[in-house]
Amino acid sequence: MSDEYNQKNTPLEAQSSETMTDISGTTSKDIDYVRPAELPEQDLYHGHSFITKWVFCQDAKVIGVQYFLTAVFTGIVGLVLSWLMRLQLGYPDLVPFITAEHYYQFVTMHGMIMVVYFLTALFLGGFGNYLIPLMVGARDMVFPYVNMVSFWMFFIAVCVLMASFFVPGGPTGAGWTLYPPQAILPGTPGSNMGIILMLASLSLFVIGFTMGGLNYIITILQARTRGMTLMRMPLTIWGIFTATALAMLAFPALLVSCIMMTLDKMLETSFFMPAIIQAGEVLDYGGGSPVLFQHLFWFFGHPEVYIVALPAFGIVSDLISVHARKNIFGYRMMVWAIVGIGGLSFFVWAHHMYVSGMNPWFGFFFATTTLIIAVPTALKVYNWIITLFRANIRMNTVMLFCLGFIVTFVNGGITGIFLGNVAVDIPLSDTYFVIAHFHMVMGVAPLMVIMGAVYHWFPLVTGRMLSEKLGKWHFWFTFLGAYSIYFPMHYLGFIGVPRRYFEMYDSPYVASATGMNEFITVAALIVGFAQFIFIYNIVTSLSIGKPAGKNPWKANSLEWLTPEVPPAHGNWGEKLPVIHRWPYDFNVPGAKEDYITQTTPPSEVMSAEVEKT
Amino acid sequence: MDEIQKKKQATSTHKLGVYLWIWGLLFVLSFFSYLVDWFQFQGLLRHSLILIFMFLKAGLIMAFFMHLYWERYALVSVLLWPMTAVVGFIVLMAAEAKYTVFTRLLYFFIGG
Amino acid sequence: MSDNSLNNLPGGFKGMSHDMGSDQTAFKGAQWGKVMMWIFLLSDTFIFSCFLISYMKGRTSTVVDWPNTSEVFSLHVGGVPVPLLLIAIMTFVLITSSGTMALAVKYGYERNRKMCGWLILATAIGGLTFVGMQVFEWSKLIHEGVRPWENPFGAKQFGSFFFMITGFHGTHVSIGVIFLFIYARKVFRGDFDNAKRGFFTTMKSDYVAIEILGLYWHFVDLVWVFIFAFFYLW
Ligand code: HEM
Ligand SMILES: [Cu+2]
Repeated sequence: MSDEYNQKNTPLEAQSSETMTDISGTTSKDIDYVRPAELPEQDLYHGHSFITKWVFCQDAKVIGVQYFLTAVFTGIVGLVLSWLMRLQLGYPDLVPFITAEHYYQFVTMHGMIMVVYFLTALFLGGFGNYLIPLMVGARDMVFPYVNMVSFWMFFIAVCVLMASFFVPGGPTGAGWTLYPPQAILPGTPGSNMGIILMLASLSLFVIGFTMGGLNYIITILQARTRGMTLMRMPLTIWGIFTATALAMLAFPALLVSCIMMTLDKMLETSFFMPAIIQAGEVLDYGGGSPVLFQHLFWFFGHPEVYIVALPAFGIVSDLISVHARKNIFGYRMMVWAIVGIGGLSFFVWAHHMYVSGMNPWFGFFFATTTLIIAVPTALKVYNWIITLFRANIRMNTVMLFCLGFIVTFVNGGITGIFLGNVAVDIPLSDTYFVIAHFHMVMGVAPLMVIMGAVYHWFPLVTGRMLSEKLGKWHFWFTFLGAYSIYFPMHYLGFIGVPRRYFEMYDSPYVASATGMNEFITVAALIVGFAQFIFIYNIVTSLSIGKPAGKNPWKANSLEWLTPEVPPAHGNWGEKLPVIHRWPYDFNVPGAKEDYITQTTPPSEVMSAEVEKT
Repeated sequence: MDEIQKKKQATSTHKLGVYLWIWGLLFVLSFFSYLVDWFQFQGLLRHSLILIFMFLKAGLIMAFFMHLYWERYALVSVLLWPMTAVVGFIVLMAAEAKYTVFTRLLYFFIGG
Repeated sequence: MSDNSLNNLPGGFKGMSHDMGSDQTAFKGAQWGKVMMWIFLLSDTFIFSCFLISYMKGRTSTVVDWPNTSEVFSLHVGGVPVPLLLIAIMTFVLITSSGTMALAVKYGYERNRKMCGWLILATAIGGLTFVGMQVFEWSKLIHEGVRPWENPFGAKQFGSFFFMITGFHGTHVSIGVIFLFIYARKVFRGDFDNAKRGFFTTMKSDYVAIEILGLYWHFVDLVWVFIFAFFYLW
């Protein structure tokens, strides 16, 4: 928007669907009234050449797909790394080139790729870009140019990250938490170029993300269409919005720790480095505090967990509601839960540091705050379940993935409560119990949502349906497979198998762990290969999938209501949509059909007993 | 100048005097905080004076130069609430710093 | 900036709940670009907060003495050391430039092209002077043997934090100066009066841009207030 705020004396009155006071102060009889537009039409740049349309494109939908594909590419790299690790753990020495050093590098790159470059980029960059303008009824993001630059920054960040595989010494092997002092000392693999490229890549990622994040936030707050109040937005948007807000406030801590660690490495400052004797030689470092790094890292790291989880919460709520043909139970509660979780997530970070030697009082404080977060989270789970209760459930692939999400999330959430308590965490930390916990809660659960979301929105993006039959196979392989991988890991944790270990040597518990490790490895390979069913499904459906037509799921939210499907540049054709209700009017008593779209004016559904929103 | 622009001018700018006053106040406050060092105040007095002048200056800049005083509360509160996270971080890190120095003194000098 | 149709809305907390509950925009009357700058600055505040928190933690927990900043940063005038003289002048310059910027925004909205342009130029020159003095300060300290990795006056971390934090702030100032010059040129050329389209973004220019630039510049000043208090005075 470059023009000034609309001057034409627009009545900026509160919007409610029953009575409206118009300019002259008389009560309008017209129940369909929605107050006029505050903002002028958005000025859009229309690409003409191939390059401006598909490469350096300013259309958020194309940028979303670009983000999606790049993130999936890095995700596949992360997946392959996990296979290599699993091979080593299940069948030690089977693959000769996996040495201890390589194993550390794989662990590190796998972790970092999955959390930051895959999930964060996919949810916010991918789904965010595609869905935000469509769901709030905007023509595009508010700053399309900045949005385009954001993607290319991300792309460069990925390139830098991948380049670290090919530099002398290889990528860093410090673990995805990159704790100093070991991250930058010789003896850790990739402690020269590897770690520097990792820090550079993260910094680029943060810069690129900030550009995108500003777009997402401001599009949601300032560019909604007429009638779209905050409390009429789909929960998907609430999830993405809150996650983006968290990211804008959490990534600074990551950026600062990256800068300080880069200086420690390259200029030998001692921010994080205590006095160290290495191989009998006193190094130049002295007086720094490694725990400071951990605080900075986790001040970012814990909100990061919710950056991944909140969009998943939001999306899954919408998927459940549409495919159970029922309004989401407790919409407002869900919104406040999302916002509350987001706010609280800045006060729990040191639950990752119970064994770090921090101030001993912190254990008490952070355990308390951590357990408080469980309240809104549990609320959300109850609401999903109550939404499903006596609903008209369609057991399609999307719904299966949603159910899979609920199960894995509850599982991971319960182990989270174990780990949130100091006394329980101390024996369990750095064991496979932790690995099982966070893979359940932030690995598998969000992945379930992503897959469900792809089955749900693929028809919107491409105009064709994915195959249900292949989808069901894909679901069962993935769900049962993922459980076979991670469920036994809880047990491994209980018997004390440590994480980030390349092999188990001659420890007494090896005997009972060997068979289980082999089983997990086989399961991991199967799950990995099952994803090729998914990819095959996507590729073939692009050309032979059943044409989807308009609104194949009979959903209410705006993204399905564009004049053209798939939506064109500018999204809405001639006129912006006008919103009269929330997106959850399913199976309303008295309505002719089982859904009432957000754009349906009240006068068309006079007899329906809709919720007042 | 057409009608709309005139209207805009009337409402969207503030009197020169406001800016000059704030400007002057900022100089005075900076001078005061410089005096804190000049007179070599120490301890609690020093720190509280530094903080008071700092917050006053920051507040003036935000409220008037950055126009926050004239903005609607929605924007103001969205900008100020997240600061609680920073405040929490500061408080906890202050506690952590005390603990770090305690352990250092204990192990380096007293011998743990 | 406020606007006529906004006067009809409830103000204060009531206005807040009204705005948040309404459709289309949550910040009534605030242009997109301005909100973007505010949210960006919020994020940047977290960056500087993390720097300053790390610094304070380092300083509080060091067992080697922290240098006395009042002496380290003193200048000799006629053989007498005046504590923190340079820093005081730098603060003065930055506040001056903040004032000229605030006036530039005012004249911009009044469509007073000349005044606005000159004031922006004055701001840019103030910024340049500040950066120049910072260069002087850096070279003085380096001359005395302070390095990011060592410090003859006491704790190593003093040098590290000094160069990092003032360097990061100085980078912000320098970026600001570059943009001030670019915008001064745009103002004089009349881009904002003719709503000329931007070179990169192809969007129409508007005097709001000056307020946005102003927000950034005042923020840089704001950060300096905190650095002055915590690094130099504390
Ligand atoms: C089929 C899928 C996956 C498999 C088989 C798998 C397997 C593994 C294995 C074997 C480890 C190393 C354990 C150790 O030695 O300490 C690991 C670590 C990790 N994984 Fe996964 N993983 C998968 C998916 C994911 C996903 C989707 C995420 C995203 C959150 C993720 C995040 C992590 C993280 C953060 C670590 C810790 C890295 C570290 O210790 O530095 N993984 N994973
Ligand atoms: Cu956490």
